[in-house]
Parts: sequence; structure tokens; C-alpha cells
Amino acid sequence: MTRFSRSRVAIAAAAALPLVLVAACSGSDGGTGGDGGGDGDVTELHVLDYYNNDPNKTVWQGVLDACATEVGVELNRESVPGGDLIAKVLQMSSSRTLPDVLMLDNPDVQQIAESGALAPLSQFGLDPGGIAEGVLSASTYEDELYALQPVTNTIALFYNTQTLAAAGIEPPTTWEELETAAAALTEGDQYGLALSAINTYEGTWQFLPFMWSNGGDEADIATPEVAGALQLWKDLLDAGSMSQSVVTWSQADVADQFSSGNAAMMVNGPWNFGTLAENAELEYGIVPIPAPAAGDTVVSPFGGEAWAVPQTGDDARMAVAAEFVQCLVGEDAVVEAAVGTNTVPTDPSLSDTVVEQVPNLASFAEQVPDLRARTGELGPEWPTQATAIYEAVQNALVGGMSPEDALAQAQNG
Amino acid sequence: MSAAVPIARRAAGDAAGRASKITTPRRPGHTILGVIIIAVMLFPLYWMLNVSLQPAGNASATPWLPLDLSFDGYRTALAEQGGNLVTSLIVSLGAVVFSLLIAAPAAYALAHFRFGKWVVVFLFAVLTTQMVPGIVVANALYSAYSDLGLLNTYAGLILADSAAGIPFSIILMRAFMMSIPASIVEAAYVDGAGPVRAFVSVVLPISRNALITSALFTFLFAWGDFLFALTLTTSESMRPITLGLYSYIGGFVSDWSPIMATAVLSSLPAIALLVLAQRYVAAGVTGGAVKS
Amino acid sequence: MTSTEIRPGSGGLAPPAPARPARHRSVGRSRLVQIAFLIPATAYLVLFFGYPVVKNITMGFQEYTTRTFYTGEAPWVGFANYVTAVTDPVFDRALLNTGLFTVGSIVGQFTIGLLIALFFHRRFHLSGVLRSLLLLPWLVPMIAASAVWRWILDTDHGVLNRTLDLLPFLDGRPAWLTSTTLALVAVIIVNIWLGIPFNATILYGGLQEIPEELYEAGSLDGATGARAFWHITWPLLRPVVTVVLVLGVVYTLKVLDVILGLTNGGPANATQTISTFSYHMSFREFDFGVGAALGNILVLISLVFAVVYLRLNRRSIDE
Repeated sequence: MTRFSRSRVAIAAAAALPLVLVAACSGSDGGTGGDGGGDGDVTELHVLDYYNNDPNKTVWQGVLDACATEVGVELNRESVPGGDLIAKVLQMSSSRTLPDVLMLDNPDVQQIAESGALAPLSQFGLDPGGIAEGVLSASTYEDELYALQPVTNTIALFYNTQTLAAAGIEPPTTWEELETAAAALTEGDQYGLALSAINTYEGTWQFLPFMWSNGGDEADIATPEVAGALQLWKDLLDAGSMSQSVVTWSQADVADQFSSGNAAMMVNGPWNFGTLAENAELEYGIVPIPAPAAGDTVVSPFGGEAWAVPQTGDDARMAVAAEFVQCLVGEDAVVEAAVGTNTVPTDPSLSDTVVEQVPNLASFAEQVPDLRARTGELGPEWPTQATAIYEAVQNALVGGMSPEDALAQAQNG
Repeated sequence: MSAAVPIARRAAGDAAGRASKITTPRRPGHTILGVIIIAVMLFPLYWMLNVSLQPAGNASATPWLPLDLSFDGYRTALAEQGGNLVTSLIVSLGAVVFSLLIAAPAAYALAHFRFGKWVVVFLFAVLTTQMVPGIVVANALYSAYSDLGLLNTYAGLILADSAAGIPFSIILMRAFMMSIPASIVEAAYVDGAGPVRAFVSVVLPISRNALITSALFTFLFAWGDFLFALTLTTSESMRPITLGLYSYIGGFVSDWSPIMATAVLSSLPAIALLVLAQRYVAAGVTGGAVKS
Repeated sequence: MTSTEIRPGSGGLAPPAPARPARHRSVGRSRLVQIAFLIPATAYLVLFFGYPVVKNITMGFQEYTTRTFYTGEAPWVGFANYVTAVTDPVFDRALLNTGLFTVGSIVGQFTIGLLIALFFHRRFHLSGVLRSLLLLPWLVPMIAASAVWRWILDTDHGVLNRTLDLLPFLDGRPAWLTSTTLALVAVIIVNIWLGIPFNATILYGGLQEIPEELYEAGSLDGATGARAFWHITWPLLRPVVTVVLVLGVVYTLKVLDVILGLTNGGPANATQTISTFSYHMSFREFDFGVGAALGNILVLISLVFAVVYLRLNRRSIDE
């Protein structure tokens, strides 16, 4: 009898072990606090963004708090790492746990809108105000506006003031000047130019101003205009004016190269001001990206994030969330965010106020009316073509293909 | 699986050897070569330490020595990542305990009970689990966890982080346990022990090396996990160190010196554990060397 | 398999020897107890692997996009995802790279790991401490390790090329991460570095299990050095070698973070593997169906390898 019962106990214990452990562990921790408020009074909004490091994190906390006070709610803010926001949003939408207010990188807005997870803002009567046309087009899907973007950024040409002065070179304004200047500034361990031709969307993003300004178009990249822009990059690389490592550098790496004096000029954006400021010896200036020829218009893509109201199914909360998003594109919020995070207002009429406080932003602010949306033409199809572009760039730069062949292969799959 | 080669083991000598510790031979040539091997292997880690002590904006062209010392990275790391280190330790140790509890009995059963061809089937199933990409598991777990309320819990992370450790430990411990002579277990039965007691008081002590090796790797698997941390936690209060590190990498900006500082700091408690564990493995070596 | 399996212990005695008359009444019960040893592991494996795998297999036959997450609608498309995946121009390259990466990594980390294990098996002053330090690379989070390696391998300023500059016979600097031919080599080197601790530690554990007296007996017959290795060490190490190799290949086939961190599959797809390609399709282009199809192809490759290897291995042991 004793043997029998002992065996029984052994079986039961062995089988139940995992369950017991689970119960014990989850008991000690407490569950996830649900914020399941009812339809009546909305006292709290769940906000999701990817501003997870400073200065963005803190500056946006201030902006969000101010709007929360204005709308009269508490905030439950969650910030996830940048590269993983979309995965998170997808998981949330499948488990029906979408936040009340969602920040999205602007080229992702249409993708998420297409899935049906976002509410059209017209149903709340939101007013886009003076936001530039190009910016609004990125937030629009099938004629409905799904998000509002308060601030934006783009890229320009940074140059090391001392290096250029010592060499007696003026900052270039055309492609020809760029090639000459970059060649002249290349000596010893120092390259004339650094940019990011990495095989991610960052590489595509850096190529766009060259491609667009030369009359290229993302719908069909197997054209002489796009090939011309790619030829410029290839010539710069073949001439030794930029390192072959450009194909592995992210924009953060490019800034690092520029800061440590390995490159006299770089293509980069204002989000690097903070990093560059840490190097006290560095003096730099910023000019727009050189145009194909004198007098041509430079067309750059715009970056930055837009704020949307997901379909949570709770109308009262969604209405309050919309009110909150409207506040985020108000003048106070925009100026505070722009100055704090080195971005420019999407509403050009607010630019002067910001540039007064951060003069370095001038070259970026003046581009705002001409900025073009990456998703303006292709919408949710953009990611496929963005991949084709960076693949063609890499094939031409280090894969031994001519720009024409590389682009034709990428375009035709 | 491969057939086990009968290895007449020194189970008895194991116990005896621990008592009579023999001195390690000096062999200075070996020590020098050993130091060189480790130095080469650990060079990237030295480089990490080097970068962590450099001022910002110097990552790509780091000098050989951190002459221009800067502790900014450590200041940031200590202030922001302390709690995350504790979380990582709890989760990793939890995963070790949980994995061994699940895997050890299974490994023993597969090595010593007569399950015929089911052993092969089971082992192959275990092996197959190792072929599944982590992302596949993480994606499926997320929805299940959110229904069960396991997101943001230690239990949830411990269970998920055992996903690498359990199959690995089963395969590894079984390979080692095959070499335990059946006669030893048999002796326990003669003394009136049941299978559970024989397992706990005879098999487990003999398998100490296999247990420690499995524990070490399970700890390392869990410690290095990033994917489950990312998908199964959402709050800052429940964040392993790997994810904490990631928060220093923004959209387009990376601040490397706190990243490297955190990586260095996060190695310290784990190094202590490794050295501690190796002591036990070393004791086993000494025991094995002395044969009766 | 059962017929060829050599039982532990010379007499082939398995524990609770069910046929014993004295234990007659407990036969059924002890069988249950034996099964109970396996129940927790089985339950865990079914929940944490069975369910995801089934889900991934079905996903491979569905059109599964961002939209699906919200609407839950995923139309069945048969083998369309597999056709898309296999006919993609990147696929052939990725398949070849997967093979080269796996073979290169395994050969490198197993050989070096075994040499290190043999070296540390001869005890000497500080050997214990040095051996525990060997595991350190595993403690470093992949984000940090890949960044460090990228700096070390940098063409212009990397410490590796700065060191190579000192060599008189070497002209020019190898473009480790930016040349389409060298990038794969560089990624393999880093993966070998990561794999050595695993191989060395487990093989070392296996070496410890080999009784010293076999070597003593062997040396009387003149088997020392290399002869001792081939006639005593290698045959007895075989079960552990099998574990290390099979797991090593299976783990290497699905390596993702090393490649993503170092080259992200570039330059110009030179380091794209099935694993990174699958990741790209799912999480960059949001085509989860194709991503799942690629993942399933990867599991299939693993399975085929495991079956073939284990069969060959069994035959060679039987002989």
C-alpha cells in the first residue's frame, strides 16, 4: 500500500510541477494591470511611441503631459525601441489591445491604415491646419487622413568648417562641385564625404534626394535619371572620395565618422546635433544637399512621426484621443517639440519661431515646402520598392554592376 | 541518436577523489599558451571595455588604450540599468531551475528506461524543436500570453527563456547519463529505493557535471535572450538587461559608450557565477583523476 | 535502432528490471512512474514548440499580411508563398550562403573547440580560471558584440587592419565587411568566435568522462599522442561529438542576430541566408506568409540533415 501511494504521488508531482511553478511565480508578481475603463468618463489614455531615448524621450514627455493637462486625462505612456514598433503594433492589433494614441513613423502610416487598425480623422472633425501638402500626403490613405504630424526632419550636407577653410574650399552646391570638393578634401585618413548606402531603408532614404532632384521616380527606377544619381555615388566611391564602408554605415556611423574627423563632409540630419555637440573641438556648418546643376530644385524626403487614433472600439476614448492628437499639432506643442528635439515644424508658418532658437535648423526648415513623401506615390507598396532601391545601390557600389544594370535588375525583380 | 558507448565510469572514485585532493602540476609552458589562447578569444571584450572608457564620438577609430578616460558611460549605465540587471538575474536563474526540473527526469528516463523505439521518436522530436526559429515561437507565444495574463511576469519570461534550455539539456544530459552504469542504479533498487528516490539520491549526484554544464548553458541562453524579452514584456519595470541596452539605440542615433559600459557591467555578476560553477566542475575533474 | 543500441553497463541491465518475480505486482505501476518522468518535458515541448510550429506551417499556406493582424482574414493560397520564395532572385544566393556559412562555421568552431578542449584537458596552473573565462563571449549581448566586431573589422580604421598594416608582405587593406567576397568570410569568423566556447566546453565535459586507466592501458600497448587520440579518445567521445555537431548545425542554420548585426545580409546580398531572408520578408516587407514559407524550408533543411547524419553515424558505429 505504501509503495502504491508513493508512486501515485510521484506521478502527480512530476506532471503538476510546471503548473505549480507557473502559479507560484505569477502569484508573486501580480498580473498586468488592465486599464479597462468604461464608456463614461475617460480619465486615462494609453499612448505608444518609440521616443525611448533622450533627448526625445524627455522632451516628448513634456509635450505629452502638457496636452494631457489640456485635455484633462492621465497618461499611460509606453515607449518601445524604434525598430520594433511595427511588430508591437501588429501584435496589439491581433490581440485587440491597441493603444488610444499611437505614434507611427510617417512611411508606415498608410501600411497600418490599410490594415484597418486606424480611425479616419475626419470622423472627429480634426483640422490639419497649415501642415505642408507633402507631409499630409504621407498620412493620407484612399483620400482619408489618418494621422497628424507635428514636426519633421530631413537630410542636408554637413561640413567641417575648419577643414574646408584650411583647404580653401566653399561648401558645394552642385554635383560637380561636390565631386571636386570631395576629391580635394580626401587625404591621408580623411575622406572627402561620408554618407549611408547601407542595405536598410536608411540607405534608401539617403539616396532619395539625389534620385528625386535628378528627376527620378520611385515607381520606375530603371530610368536614366535614377541611373545618373547612382552614377554620382559610384563615381565618388571609385574616385576614393568616400570609403567603401559606406555600404555598411548606418547614419549613426556616418555621424561618428564625421565627428572623429574621418570625413570632411557628410549627408545627415539634425537628430545628430546632440551627438556632434559632445565633441567640443568640432565646428561644422550645414547647407542643402547639392543639386544636379546650378538652379535645380533639391527634393528631399521628410522624416518624423505622425500621431494616429487606433480603432479601439471605445468611441468615447477615441474622441478624447482625437482631441489629444489635435493638441499635439497646436503651436505650443509643435514649437516645444521642434526646439527640444531639433526638428522643424510641418507647418512652415511656425518655422521662424523655431529657427530663431535653433539657427542650425535653417537649412532644414527652408526645404519643408518642397519635401516629398516616400509613400506619396506607392502607398503601402513602398517597402518593396525601398528594398529594390537599396539593393540596386549596393549592387552598383560594391557588387560590380553598372548603375543601369543594377537598377534594371532591381526594378524587374 | 547514436548508440551509447559503454564507458566504465568512475562513480565510486568520484566520491573518494573529492576527499584526497591532488595538487595541480605547474607546467608553465601550458599556462602561457593558455593565457595566449584566452587573450585572443577575449580581445573583442577588451575592445568593448576600451570603447566604454572612451569619450563619445570615438567609436570607429578607437586608440589601443583608453588614455583619455571617460566614465560618462558607466554613470549613465549604473543609474539606468541596475534594476534591469536584477530582472535578468532572476529570470535567468529561474530558467535554470525550471529547465533542470523538467529536463533532468526526462533525460534520465530516455537514457535508462526501456522505451524501445519511443526513445528515438522522442529525441528526434526534441531535436526538431531546436530547428524552429525563435521568432516563430515568440510570435505564437505573444497571443497565448496575452490571453493568459503572462505578459510582463517573471513566470512568463522564465517559461519562454527555458525554450532553448530544456531541449538542449535533455539532449546533453541524456548523452552523459548514458554512461552511468546500470549496476549502480540497480544497487539502489536492491536497497529498496523506488525509481524516484534512485533518481534523486543516486543518479543526480553522479550526474553533477552534466547538470552543471546544462545549467551553465541554460543560464547563458536565458541571459542573452533578446527576442522573448522584446515580445513578451511591455513595461519598464519588467525589463531584462538585453532590452535595456537596446533602449540606447534610437531611430538613427546610437550612444555607444553607455551600451558598452552596460555590457561590461552586466558581465560582472555572470562572471562570478561562471567562476563559481567552474569550481564544481573542477572538483569533478580532480575526483576523476584519482582512480581506485 | 533498439536492436543495435548498446545498453549502458556491460550486462545490458536496465533499471527497475521489471521481470523480477519479487516486484511482480508493481510492473504496471512502475511503467507509469517511468512515463511520468517524461510528462513535464512532453507537455512543455508541445506547448512551446508544437503549437508555434503548427501555426507557422499553416501560415506558409496563407496570404498573411499586416491586414491579417487586424481583420483576422488570411485567405488560403496553396503553395503560392513557396513559389514566391523559391523564385525570388535572392533565394539561390541565400541557399548557397546558408550552406557555406554553416559548413564554414561548424568546421571552424568544432576543430578549434576540440583543440582547446584537448589542451585544457591536461590540467595546469590556472587552467580552471582560464577555462571559465572562455565562456565570457557568451555573456556579451549580441548588440554589443556585433558593434564591437564591426569596429574591429572596419576597413580604414579597424584594429584588425591596423594590425595587418604592420605585416610587411601584405599589400592593401582587406575590405572585411564591404567586399562581396570577404563579407561572408568575416561573418563566418565572428560566428566561429561565438561558437568556440560552446564546442570547447561540451567537448571538454566529454573528455572528462573518459577514464584515465584506458590511456594507461593504451600507453602500455604503445598508444600515445595521436594514436591514443584516434584509438581511445575519438571513439569514446563520439556520443558527445554527435550532440555537438548536430546541435551545432541546427543552431547555425538559423543564426540571425550575428548576420543582422554585422552586415544585415549585405553588401549586395553577399551574406543573405535563408534565415535573414525569412526575417526580411516577415518584418521588413510584412509578407508573413512568404516569411513563414522560408522558415519552414529552413526547418526542412535541418530535418534532412539530422536524419542523414544520424543514419550515417549509426551505420559507422555499427560497423
